[in-house]
Amino acid sequence: MPDLEARKVIELGYAGNERLVMNMGPQHPSAHGVFRAILTLEGETVVGVDAVIGYLHRCHEKLGETLTYVQYPSIASKTDYVAAMTSELAYVLAAEKIGQIEVPKRAQYLRVIAAELQRIASHCLWLGTWCMDMGGALGGGATLFLYCFRERETLLDLFEALTGARLLYGFHQVGGTRYDLPAGWAERCRSTVDLIEKRIDEYEAMLEGNAFFLARTREVGVISRELAQEVGVSGPLIRGSGIAYDIRRVEPYSSYEAFDFKVPVETGGDCWARYRVRMVEFRESIGIVRQALEGLPPGPISSRPGVKSVGQVRIGKGETYARVEGPRGEVGCYLVADGSAKPYRMKWRGASFSNLAVLPHIVPGHKVADVVAIMGSVDPVFGEVDR
Amino acid sequence: MPRNRASFWSELAQLTTAVGKTMGVTLRNFLRRPVTIHYPDVKRAYPERFRGVLALTYDRETGEENCIGCRLCEYICPPQVIAVEMLKAEKRNYAKTFTLELYACEYCELCVQVCPTDAIIMLRTVDLATADRRELLLDKDRLHELGLADEPSWATGTRLRDMQAPPRAVKA
Amino acid sequence: MAPAVRDLIAAFVLLNGVIGVVTYVTLLERKFTARMQSRIGPYRVGPHGLLQPIADALKLMMKEDVVPAMSDRWVYNLAPLAFLLPCVLVFGTIPFAPGLGLADLNIGLLFFLAVSALEIVGLFMGGWGSNNKYALLSAMRAVNQIISYDLPFIFAALIPVVLSGTLRLGGIVEAQQGGWYVAYPVIGQLGFLAYLVAMLAAENRVPFDILEAESELVAGFRVEYSGMKFALIQLAEYAHVIATSYLGALLFLGGWLGPGPGWLGAVWFTLKALAVFLLVTWVRWSFVRIRVDQILAISWKLLLPVTLMLLLAAAFVVAYQGGGGAA
Repeated sequence: MPDLEARKVIELGYAGNERLVMNMGPQHPSAHGVFRAILTLEGETVVGVDAVIGYLHRCHEKLGETLTYVQYPSIASKTDYVAAMTSELAYVLAAEKIGQIEVPKRAQYLRVIAAELQRIASHCLWLGTWCMDMGGALGGGATLFLYCFRERETLLDLFEALTGARLLYGFHQVGGTRYDLPAGWAERCRSTVDLIEKRIDEYEAMLEGNAFFLARTREVGVISRELAQEVGVSGPLIRGSGIAYDIRRVEPYSSYEAFDFKVPVETGGDCWARYRVRMVEFRESIGIVRQALEGLPPGPISSRPGVKSVGQVRIGKGETYARVEGPRGEVGCYLVADGSAKPYRMKWRGASFSNLAVLPHIVPGHKVADVVAIMGSVDPVFGEVDR
Repeated sequence: MPRNRASFWSELAQLTTAVGKTMGVTLRNFLRRPVTIHYPDVKRAYPERFRGVLALTYDRETGEENCIGCRLCEYICPPQVIAVEMLKAEKRNYAKTFTLELYACEYCELCVQVCPTDAIIMLRTVDLATADRRELLLDKDRLHELGLADEPSWATGTRLRDMQAPPRAVKA
Repeated sequence: MAPAVRDLIAAFVLLNGVIGVVTYVTLLERKFTARMQSRIGPYRVGPHGLLQPIADALKLMMKEDVVPAMSDRWVYNLAPLAFLLPCVLVFGTIPFAPGLGLADLNIGLLFFLAVSALEIVGLFMGGWGSNNKYALLSAMRAVNQIISYDLPFIFAALIPVVLSGTLRLGGIVEAQQGGWYVAYPVIGQLGFLAYLVAMLAAENRVPFDILEAESELVAGFRVEYSGMKFALIQLAEYAHVIATSYLGALLFLGGWLGPGPGWLGAVWFTLKALAVFLLVTWVRWSFVRIRVDQILAISWKLLLPVTLMLLLAAAFVVAYQGGGGAA
């Protein structure tokens, strides 16, 4: 909570030399959700950012206490609704960790395929919305936005064939996954990722040498290595600042140790570095999906019988913290189980929540137009921030 | 800004090629077929497992209602949109009333998963847009009506449960 | 018929023609950009969307006219008119075919450039009168940008003047009968390119549309306008783009010169202007925008020296070849 006295001074305006207090309010085309940034401007330069969140609070953590282990994974998708698979995964991993429940190999591979496809889809959305923020809804940004969404739609079609839903899946259950691959899905998946790989080449052609794009993203929003470690950012933000930290390598879950992929690291720390990290992640995820499809073992998709009643899964007493590498960073679930069908306490560590904490450090000094570029490269999803 | 003449020309050349590449990508997409589907004249092909609108079913052979009013779906629904009253009878139970608030439904398919008699299913359509929210408060008659009107999705309770754990005879 | 009455009728016809063309050009832009984005533009309103502009105009006329509470009433209400007037006035000087122009002044180009620069007044009035910080920010950026880019714009537009020796727009076209100015070695192509870039910036088109940056300032100085006033501002913007497209086609692409009888010249002229417009639209929908300080840097450090050099080069060439006609 910012100092109330200081707040009053800001709101009365004119604290010194002609400062303008502008509200990039919760209703804004590039707030990436509902985010209020109270910018203090001197001319065109931002000198202060006061971030206000909480517009999307939906009491997830309380819901975690009232819904059972069977019901909650469908709701967990709604924290990070852009990357629903990874949110559900964090919750079921935590429950399985406490209950010592083993997950069959096939289910683990299916989880990996789902998570990596979700990462590709989420990065498609990131690229599209970022370019739209920078280029305008009536301009070149919208063009790239529609291309990225055209590709994302093919991925959502894949998910729809797998689970029946396009955005919020309910794919994971404690003990495995809920759905197995339908006939012909693997072939379709392969041709879709091949198409996306070609299209990523097109996006890179559109953006890489583009002087306008470079001018907007180089040296903008530099997160230094020390700042990244201090503030606790994760995901592409920390990898763009030179620290090779990827939970899939550091603490492999769901058989990620069996896959061969590169963890991209850039040292620039600016928006361009984060852009490069995510573009390489596109290709690496495609590689992982191909490896997983190839090595998919036959077998059951769940070590527990199919869900028949609401209180079917009971987890013994214990507490643990499980984390996954989401497209935005470290998504974690701290679960306290007490032997019944519902958790005693569940806490979400939202990747975007911690990533947003870096904004007051990197935004001041830039122009107003850079605020949207930085917000886009931080890529917050407010379901995760406000929960 | 470039410092010397040589880098100025090379930067200009780079800028020109980059501009050309970008506009080339846009031109290439100009010549591609649009991906628009002319809904509602042409409908998209929904996949087999599509989670559409909910419906209640009748037994295929006997024509009886499948629903036995066991309320398992009511208990598992996360937003609690289902309300069932059981009607006891001699051979089997029925549902006296069955209301489903479709405007609050999450389409999570958990009710379909737990139904022991495959009574509640999802359809392969979501064409239920309306101007009056009360039309989305589905009662038992309406749900049965929907079940007869549209194509059901592949997923029924038995199939979903079988998918999660194969039957004992074929244990892997 | 008295010449005054005849001129009045001609002006009325021209005004309506301009409004009609501008409205349908918005539809053209929407279909064109939709194809670039793998989609179809307006399709259902009328066959292939042909009635869409009319539907939009009707909708805007029926919308509630919301006036912000603390706005400067006179400034706010007059701004759309002050913005529209220069943008439409310049059409008077453009000759659409030999002899078919409202007023082929012998200082035609000077009039065009001077009047089109007056739109800044209307723009700033809109930004200031709205009592809105976004609008104000946008208006300040606009004044900065348009004034900075008017200079290269003028210099680029002066290259054909130097090559042809006259400020009269009809005269510039007649001088291109030997070859369009865009085909002139080096100076023609670079001049046309510089003209296009300066035009993009003076029109607030992406990549230079920082002042209306939808994703930051949500429509910039227009943000508090709704209904008919918004329609007037949109009309003025598109009219200005079309006017400068016509000017570009006239200065560099030979105006109404083309095969066929004299009256077909108007058709050729319009086609060339639309080609320039589509080129500008193609650029608009391919690039992200750049920041305002970068825009100003490009103007003062790159575009202005380049256009000055081109102008001097053109002058040397003309003097070397024995001078053009009387100014």
